[in-house]
Amino acid sequence: MLDIKNLHVAVGGKEILKGLTLSLQPGQVHAIMGPNGSGKSTLSYVLAGRAGYDITEGSITYNGEDLSALKPEERAAKGVFLAMQYPVEIPGVTTMTFLKTALNAQRRARGEPDLDAIGVLKLVRAKAKTLNVSEEMLKRPLNVGFSGGEKKRLEILQMAVFEPKLAILDETDSGLDIDALRLVAEGVNALRDPSRAMLVITHYQRLLDYIVPDRIHVLAGGRIVAEGGKELALELEAKGYEHIVKVPA
Amino acid sequence: MTGITALGLPEARRNEAAALFRARGVPHRRIEDWKYSDLKSALGEGGIGAAVAQWQILHQPDGVELFDLTQSNPPEWVLANFARTTANTMSAASLALSKGGVALRVPKGVCITNPLKLDFTAAGHVRALLVLEDGASLTLVEGVGPGHFRNVGFEFVLGEASVLEHVRVSPDAGEAVLVEEMSVRIGAGGQYRAHFAAFGSKLSRMEVEITLAGAGAQAHLSGVALLDGKRHSDVTTHVIHAVGNTHSTQLFKHVAGGNSRAVYQGKVTVAQGANGSDSNQSAKALLLGENAEADLKPELEIFADDVKCAHGAAVGDLDAESLFYLRARGIPEAEARGLLLHAFLEDAVAEISNTDQRELVRTELLTALKAMA
Ligand SMILES: Nc1ncnc2c1ncn2[C@@H]1O[C@H](COP(=O)(O)OP(=O)(O)O)[C@@H](O)[C@H]1O
Ligand SMILES: [Mg+2]
Repeated sequence: MLDIKNLHVAVGGKEILKGLTLSLQPGQVHAIMGPNGSGKSTLSYVLAGRAGYDITEGSITYNGEDLSALKPEERAAKGVFLAMQYPVEIPGVTTMTFLKTALNAQRRARGEPDLDAIGVLKLVRAKAKTLNVSEEMLKRPLNVGFSGGEKKRLEILQMAVFEPKLAILDETDSGLDIDALRLVAEGVNALRDPSRAMLVITHYQRLLDYIVPDRIHVLAGGRIVAEGGKELALELEAKGYEHIVKVPA
Repeated sequence: MTGITALGLPEARRNEAAALFRARGVPHRRIEDWKYSDLKSALGEGGIGAAVAQWQILHQPDGVELFDLTQSNPPEWVLANFARTTANTMSAASLALSKGGVALRVPKGVCITNPLKLDFTAAGHVRALLVLEDGASLTLVEGVGPGHFRNVGFEFVLGEASVLEHVRVSPDAGEAVLVEEMSVRIGAGGQYRAHFAAFGSKLSRMEVEITLAGAGAQAHLSGVALLDGKRHSDVTTHVIHAVGNTHSTQLFKHVAGGNSRAVYQGKVTVAQGANGSDSNQSAKALLLGENAEADLKPELEIFADDVKCAHGAAVGDLDAESLFYLRARGIPEAEARGLLLHAFLEDAVAEISNTDQRELVRTELLTALKAMA
């Protein structure tokens, strides 16, 4: 489903990813772990198509297609979803209006008919309940005044509503207390599906107790420096990154 | 009744106004107040002319009295309030040259629920007077019709505890040069609430001077400008807290694309002894390209102690992170931009109390945003 080969990415002329190779099959959940500044968010942004993240070498193939040639909105319509580390606050656009606009934009791009306001409301309400997202939150401007936990829950709600094929979760666990973490993890696990792939990015092993990955990649200095099964997370937790990561000079 | 012409208007005031205009001439960019709106060069050879523009009442609700200023024998309320002395150059010009205009009154204690709809149209100079007597209330919807050059002088007199909501929508007027000078005087406990939506023209200048003349008087101004191409829109306000315990707010949001120019100049004066005055002034502009320009100049002039005054201005670009967030969720770029621009303008639009008018302004903005995308 996703094939990243020898990916080099520069931001503002500075090379951040330095030859990253990774492959993800439908139904799989892979985790990317790595210290701060190792390039995790850079990878997530380049997958979602953010401007200013230049691919200088290598390739990203998604379902046989060159992902880098697509606009962010085209990627979304084709099933790519990035839950952002820092969801953006947008005053003046209510959360519900945003959800409806985004969902229908994706549907339109896929040649599906629009859902009317009531249809969207029903869909969102059903999913919001299990994620403990209140009606009141849906009426507020998007992410404005939301706590860290509320923002992350709203990201997962969007994932549930949009039903992407490839979900990238960038530090969705950061800033969450244990209850919120469990709630978010349950939401994510409920979306595990043989047709869906997930890339779970995290700094801590904690999240992986709840979302058990098929494979873990350790990112440091813009490269994958270690790979393994879920036990790798425990090793990292016990010994710290320095012991496993031989950061290339 | 000395000094009243056959038309019944105070001739002495007209003569004074004519003398004032002759002494000053057409404003140009070397005059501080007109720095961003060079009227003289926009008008060119033709100057301000001497034509008389038209007014038109599209809806006159029951209870609103009307006097045509070209008629003789004006009633006492017109004589008492029409053409109070003005120091404003263009207002002096409209007074000297208009020959007529319209005067409207809502009598004491009368509350009108249906909006009064007044349009100014055609080229030339025109005057209007609106008097709300004590305890009266009204919604005024002002339309800005076509006309190559028009200069409107509009006086508002708000009695004690009267409430006026004024909504003015100025559609894209292409090559027109439009000037409107308003003066508003608010008595104790009176409230003036105004929203100015502007889509610009070759030169559009809307200037309002508000005097909070009685304790508890309030003025709440808001406005949006959405400009493209070579449009220009200038909102110049001067709010004078003449006495204490008065309250004013201003919220202006401007979007400038293409080669357009959005201007906001806002001065708040708190007079000596006007303690306990409260004023808040905010102007923001978004520039959509390198050739668009916004000039925002909030200004405070305080001669009293114990006042609460806040002001701020900011010019920025559309937030790239917000745009990316929306696009990453599947919203195409043009639609995402439209959504963000609309969101930017929304809090100023939300200041309109009248629901129908608020929706109307929203619809106008959405249509214009679609055309700009
Ligand atoms: N917009 C940017 N401009 C310049 N450098 C950046 C930018 N974003 C990230 N970086 C740099 O890229 C590196 C990787 O950042 P990031 O991908 O955010 O790491 P992580 O998510 O793993 O903490 C860091 O050294 C960071 O300072
Ligand atoms: Mg990060």
